[in-house]
Amino acid sequence: MDFNTAAETNIFDRPKILGKAVPRRDGPLKTTGRAPYAYERHDVAEGQLVGYPLGSAIAKGRILSMDTEAARAAPGVRAIVTTLDMEAMPVPSEMHTAHLFGGDKVEHYHQAIAVVVAETFEQARAATALIKVEYDADEGAEFDLLAAYEKMKDTPVDPEVSKGDFETAFANAAHRIDRTYVTTPQNHAQMEPQATVAAWDENGNVTLWTSNQMIQWAKKAVAKTFEMDVEKVRVDSPYVGGGFGNKLFIRSDVVLAALGAKAAGQPVKLAMPRPFVMNNTTHRAGTVQRIRIGTDAQGKIVALAHEGTSNTLPGGSGEDATNQSQHFYAADTLLIATRLAEMHLPEANAMRAPGEASGLMGLEMAMDEMAEELGMDPVQFRLVNDTDTSPATGKKFSDRNFARCLTEGAERFGWENRNTTPGSRREGDWLIGHGVAGAFRPSPATTSGARVRLQADGRIIVETDMTDIGTGSYTIIAQTVAEAMGMDIEDVEVRLGDSAFPVSSGSGGQFGAVSSTAGAYAACTALRREVARRIGHNDADGLSFARGNVTAGAKETPLVDIAPEGEIVAEDKVKFGSFRKDRMVATFAAHFVEVGVNAWTGEVRVRRMLGVCDAGRIMNPTTALSQVIGGMVMGVGAALSEEIAVDTAKGVFINHDLANYEVPVHADIPEQEVVFLDTLDPVSGPLKSKGVGELGLCGVAGAVANAVYNATGVRAREYPITLDKLLDGLPEV
Amino acid sequence: MSYLAPETLEQALSALADPGPMRLVAGGTDVFPALGDRPLRGGLIDLTRVAEMKGIAARDGGWRIGGAVTWREILKTDLPPCFDGLKAAAREVGSVQIQAAGTLAGNLCNASPAADGIPALLALDAEVELASRDGTRRLPLADFVTGVRQTALRPGEILSALHIPVQPEGARSSFLKLGSRRYLVISIVMVSAVLWCRDGRIAGARIAVGAASPVARRLPALEAALTGLAPEALGAVTTPDHLAPLQPIGDVRGSADYRRAAVAELCDRALRKALHG
Ligand SMILES: Cc1cc2nc3c(=O)[nH]c(=O)nc-3n(C[C@H](O)[C@H](O)[C@H](O)COP(=O)(O)OP(=O)(O)OC[C@H]3O[C@@H](n4cnc5c(N)ncnc54)[C@H](O)[C@@H]3O)c2cc1C
Repeated sequence: MDFNTAAETNIFDRPKILGKAVPRRDGPLKTTGRAPYAYERHDVAEGQLVGYPLGSAIAKGRILSMDTEAARAAPGVRAIVTTLDMEAMPVPSEMHTAHLFGGDKVEHYHQAIAVVVAETFEQARAATALIKVEYDADEGAEFDLLAAYEKMKDTPVDPEVSKGDFETAFANAAHRIDRTYVTTPQNHAQMEPQATVAAWDENGNVTLWTSNQMIQWAKKAVAKTFEMDVEKVRVDSPYVGGGFGNKLFIRSDVVLAALGAKAAGQPVKLAMPRPFVMNNTTHRAGTVQRIRIGTDAQGKIVALAHEGTSNTLPGGSGEDATNQSQHFYAADTLLIATRLAEMHLPEANAMRAPGEASGLMGLEMAMDEMAEELGMDPVQFRLVNDTDTSPATGKKFSDRNFARCLTEGAERFGWENRNTTPGSRREGDWLIGHGVAGAFRPSPATTSGARVRLQADGRIIVETDMTDIGTGSYTIIAQTVAEAMGMDIEDVEVRLGDSAFPVSSGSGGQFGAVSSTAGAYAACTALRREVARRIGHNDADGLSFARGNVTAGAKETPLVDIAPEGEIVAEDKVKFGSFRKDRMVATFAAHFVEVGVNAWTGEVRVRRMLGVCDAGRIMNPTTALSQVIGGMVMGVGAALSEEIAVDTAKGVFINHDLANYEVPVHADIPEQEVVFLDTLDPVSGPLKSKGVGELGLCGVAGAVANAVYNATGVRAREYPITLDKLLDGLPEV
Repeated sequence: MSYLAPETLEQALSALADPGPMRLVAGGTDVFPALGDRPLRGGLIDLTRVAEMKGIAARDGGWRIGGAVTWREILKTDLPPCFDGLKAAAREVGSVQIQAAGTLAGNLCNASPAADGIPALLALDAEVELASRDGTRRLPLADFVTGVRQTALRPGEILSALHIPVQPEGARSSFLKLGSRRYLVISIVMVSAVLWCRDGRIAGARIAVGAASPVARRLPALEAALTGLAPEALGAVTTPDHLAPLQPIGDVRGSADYRRAAVAELCDRALRKALHG
């Protein structure tokens, strides 16, 4: 199916199942332990041994020697593979930066340098500790982003976007601010660590039961890393215990399990210990963001500059905090620039809403500061700078309702009763503050395929290598197929995550829901055509599919009667035409937050949160709500507590577990309210929906931070705003 | 590796006297995480089945808390209000799973500056009972914990029980912990207070602060300043002078200055909580 023009009225406009609050299909399985995660795939391969990884104890340098004698002699040990046994394996894909295994070169702390395979987990772990490694560490390597920023900030760089004469406009602006914001590195902190069961067969085919968001990428990456034919690789990942970008790409668990299995001649399973997840896999890079805004006397932005600096391994791309600033607000002139501070910290790569999540932490605080400078209501200031066109590209937004998010949100939240003078509202020991922030995140779409199999009993099986990373894919794909085929949702079975299935978009960049449901629709369209042929029609136009029947004129045929002898299989994919790129397809939100800050200790308690989201058609209000409230929780963490602490002497992430990397707990989160405008965006895709998974996080931290400022009068520009950062301005201290 | 689960104190002590490195373990909630990736060397003596170390019993007006008693047992036992602080601490040690496994004795012997049990037990004037094959000795808790992860426990000794002396009549108590999130958090600082009144005045108080010095400390000057004050009028009483015994450091959880400021407020809150609930 080619999606080459904006969607017209179609079956999804009179929905029976799409748009309904259908409960998550995988919910009961997960809450009762019947959804097997990668490490629990005991039944897929017999004789599984256990692998345990060894990580480098230095961040940069070379490995001189590895003594494995004692480890090999340890009880139960069946194989050991060290990084010195081979040359560096190829970097798995262009989206990876660090190589995952092989050779003597160490690029970052806890780079995988060996795998020990034993009969039990305990044996493998104990033996791993017996390996003696001699290193030659590079002294004086740089691991401090703030220090690197100080050194590079005055060196000019070529701007990414330069529209008009920013410098002159800024110098002549009636009002201006020039501020620098810092975000620290963050970890995805998904519950399930990376884990893989690997098995080779006698023909050199490998199967990897793993936990991954992008099955096709994983399959190709394995082939590239092992320099083997891609058709000899199978990847299976039906249940993923959280990803948030940490599982977009294969990581060393896949490589170590496969190497271990090959060496031992038996299947191997391996899960990363939590500290290894933190330092071996990827993180969201820290950023330093300089933002300058100039406005005219009425508050219209005449000049906007956003310069972002982030850490990355050499050759990587860090965290681009500037993207939203190119498109979100009307700005007469723009200057957008990025700098990369190359350092040998673990690989920085995508984490939920890469770019915008960090960028809006800066931009939305700057918008708040600018509004205050202007003496304007921050909601009003954003409304004044609303735009239907991206100032950087000059392209129109396909559908943008940001102003409605702001006004409807303000109304519902009771914004007119907010505290207007920072630090002035108090209830007992608590200072009360209110904050708002806007959110922007593109909503891309990408080719996605599916296969639908109409069974003799009238049921349908859907197969696609799409993943469900806790997001609701199983459920919304079932809804889409039930809708398109006019069936009961119970009669639709959805199978996901197997590279033997048609290639889908996968889960990432909030493109998964839009793309994979359109792919399932494409397959259904092919099936409808085939059903039409079976009942003597050339195509499905004019036929109606409802209540498990297909109706042509006065003749109604139950789907059970269509394929009595076997199944009918139809497969297709959706391809999104270039017309979609003529517009800016994006999602928007406004977040409103009330906090209490203790006047004596600076404890911040979020008291109320409201998010109003503009994300096209909401395919399932339950799963969409879960995505957004989960994003809002993550935003509270980003604002108040989540920080990877870097040992800047050794290049180690020191708070490498969930006791010390503090994500919010239930008791930190108050009532959350989420409103979906539930509009339609026909440019986005045939279902007129857009992504929400990343939108839910965008802007939240900025709203919390602005509320903390409003409560206390203390502007903390370095996230996370931990209690001690408010110390200097607390009235009772 | 040997794993012994003695059922009497005598068996436990003789196991400990055996040559070969043997470690004591109760809930294991400090022992096992601290291993990291290193294998366990030597053997383990599991203390959770030792009969003499079980249970909480009233004795001579005070209480004996067995050396294998868990945080959960503290929470489940009916105890007078002077134990409210200890119970509040029990509720804040990790999560319910940790509370079900972790013991008070383990918390004391591990001697982390951030151990939540230590301030609450200091405020109760607890003593530890240390058993060895040579007999049993008792030490005030303040003398038992000697430094960061250091105690007066000698080789061959087991912390067999805690003793809480008779508390003044009407003693009430509290425990408060401050962290960057609301629960399941390692303390930035914590405070426990026990106090009692006579004739409408505070007649005595014990206040202990943790995570603001290598070892949790009582605050004698603050305790003295409280005596004779009227509970109703108790406002901000803690002054910087009262905090002289503390030497807070800065770390990932908070700066030294912040700790100093927060301790004063937490002391006041703990006092109000003990007085007024
Ligand atoms: C997820 C998590 C969260 C936690 N949160 C907190 C928290 O919020 N606050 C807090 O204070 N602690 C916390 N802890 C630490 C720990 O749970 C407590 O310190 C607990 O009380 C330890 O008791 P245990 O029985 O598990 O000790 P174990 O680990 O069994 O032993 C600890 C030490 O004491 C020794 N030992 C134990 N019993 C005896 C005895 N009778 N005689 C002599 N030596 C003995 C052991 O040899 C060992 O050195 C947490 C731990 C985890 C894993």
